[in-house]
Amino acid sequence: MIRFKNLVKRFGERTVLRGISLDVRQGEILFILGTSGTGKSVLLKNIVGLLRPDEGEIWIDGQEVSKLTEEQYLPIRKKCGMVFQHPALFDSLTIHENVAFGLRRHFQFSEGEIGAKVKKALALVHLQGIESKRPGQISYGMQKRVSLARTVALEPEILLFDEPTTGLDPITTNAVNQLIQDLSHTLKTTSLVVSHDMQCALSIADRIVVLDQGSIVALGTPTEIKNSPVPLVKDFMAEVHS
Amino acid sequence: MMRGLRGFIQIIDEIGKALLFLSEIIKTLLFRPCRKSLVFEQIWHVTVESFATTAMAGFFVGAIMAVQFTVQMKEFGALGYLGGLATSGTFREVGPLLIAFMLSGKIGAFTSAELGTMRVTEQIDAIRCLGADPMQEIILPRFLGIIVSSFFLLFLGLLMSVFGGMFLGYSLAGVNPEEYVRHIPTIITAPSIATGLVKCFTFAVVLATICTQKGFYAVGGAKGVGKAVVSTAVTTMIAIVVMDWLTSFLGEVFLQMAIGS
Repeated sequence: MIRFKNLVKRFGERTVLRGISLDVRQGEILFILGTSGTGKSVLLKNIVGLLRPDEGEIWIDGQEVSKLTEEQYLPIRKKCGMVFQHPALFDSLTIHENVAFGLRRHFQFSEGEIGAKVKKALALVHLQGIESKRPGQISYGMQKRVSLARTVALEPEILLFDEPTTGLDPITTNAVNQLIQDLSHTLKTTSLVVSHDMQCALSIADRIVVLDQGSIVALGTPTEIKNSPVPLVKDFMAEVHS
Repeated sequence: MMRGLRGFIQIIDEIGKALLFLSEIIKTLLFRPCRKSLVFEQIWHVTVESFATTAMAGFFVGAIMAVQFTVQMKEFGALGYLGGLATSGTFREVGPLLIAFMLSGKIGAFTSAELGTMRVTEQIDAIRCLGADPMQEIILPRFLGIIVSSFFLLFLGLLMSVFGGMFLGYSLAGVNPEEYVRHIPTIITAPSIATGLVKCFTFAVVLATICTQKGFYAVGGAKGVGKAVVSTAVTTMIAIVVMDWLTSFLGEVFLQMAIGS
C-alpha cells in the first residue's frame, strides 16, 4: 500500500531521514516511535507531499509520488487524511465549516449531503451539537477530535496521525487512542501513528517501527518489539514498566 | 567590509524573495483566482479595523504640516496660501508616507502575525492536505483586500489631512476655512494628485506583498511569529521610504518630459 525506498530527507546540512525503506501493509495500524527530532513527523509529511524527499521513492498504491506536482498530488491527498500535532482548525470558521472544508474542495456534494457528512464525522468522534461554535469556544481536547472528524469526513483510505495525543489529559488520550482503533476498524483504513506512547502502541498497533537518528532500528509486532534487544527500544520498554 | 557585503547580499536576497512571492500571487490571480466573497471579507475587515486610526492620523498629519507652514507664511504675510501649500506638501510627500507607516504597523503587523500563526500551528499544511491551495485560499484574498483597503484608507487619510490643516489654520493663525481651501486648486495640480495616488497604490502593494510573504514563511513557533512581525515592520518601512524616493524621482522625470514636449 505504502512503500518507502531508501528515503533521504535533509534540511540544510542536517540529514533527518537516512535511507528509510519500509512497507506499510493495507489495513494495518503502524505506530512510528522514536525520540524527538528523529524524523517521525517528517516521514508522515513526505507521504502527503508537504515535504519532498531529497533521495529515494515513495510508492502509494503502485504509484511513485515523490516527484508529483502540487496539482498531481491532489488525488493522493484525497486518499491520505492527515491529523496534525496541533488541531490546525481554522479560527475564523465554525466547527461545521471546518469539517466541511475538505468536503467542499475534494467533492461536489450538495449542502444537504455536506451537512449529513459533517454530522456523521462529528458523531464518530463523539461530538454533537457544537457545529455552530468556533474553535476558540471549545476545549483543546475537543479541538483535537474535531480535527480528527475533519479528516475522517473525507473517508480516506490512509489515516496519518502526527502525535494525536500530545497535550491531552490521560482520559482524553485514552479516548483518542480508542478512536484511532475504532476508526481503523470501522472505516477499514490503513493507519500510521507517530507517537511517543509505547504503552498505547503495544496495545493497539499491529506493528511498531522505532526510529533513531533518521534510521529504522526496530520493526515488528508488539510482541517482537517487547523482546527487542535494541537499547532504545529497551529504554522505551523501561518507561512502560516504570 | 565582509559584513557590509553580507548585508548587501541579504538585501538583494530579501528583494528577490519578495518579487518571487509577488509573481506567485499574480500567477494565482491570473490562473486560479479566489472567491470574490473572500476578498470582500478582507476589504471589510481591514477597512473597519483601521478606519478610525487612519482618519485620525491623516487629520494630525495635515495639522502638523499646517503648523510648519504657518510659521513661514506669517513671516511673508502670505497666510492666504497656507491651505494650498500645506495640502500640496501633504498630498505629494508627507501624507502618503506617514499614513503608510501607520498602516504598516497596524495592517502589516496584524496580517503577518495571523499568517505566521497559521503557519506554525500547521493550518497552512492542513489547507494543502484538505485539497486547497493556500495561495488561492488565504494569501490572494488578503493581498487584494489589503491593496484595496490601504489605497482607500490612504486616500481617506489625505482627505482628513485637509480638515486637520484647516482646523489648525483657523485655530492657530485665524485663517478661515473658505480662505484655506481657496488656493488649494491653484497650487495642487493634476500631477500632484497623480503623484499622491501613485504613491498610495505603490505603498499598498509593498505593504500587502511584504506582510503576506513574511507571515506565510514564518518558522519556529511563537518566536518565529514574533520575528516575522518585526521583520515585516522594518522591511515595510524601509521599502516604503525607498519606493517614496523612487516614485518622487520618476514623477519629476515624467513631469519634466511632459513640460519639455
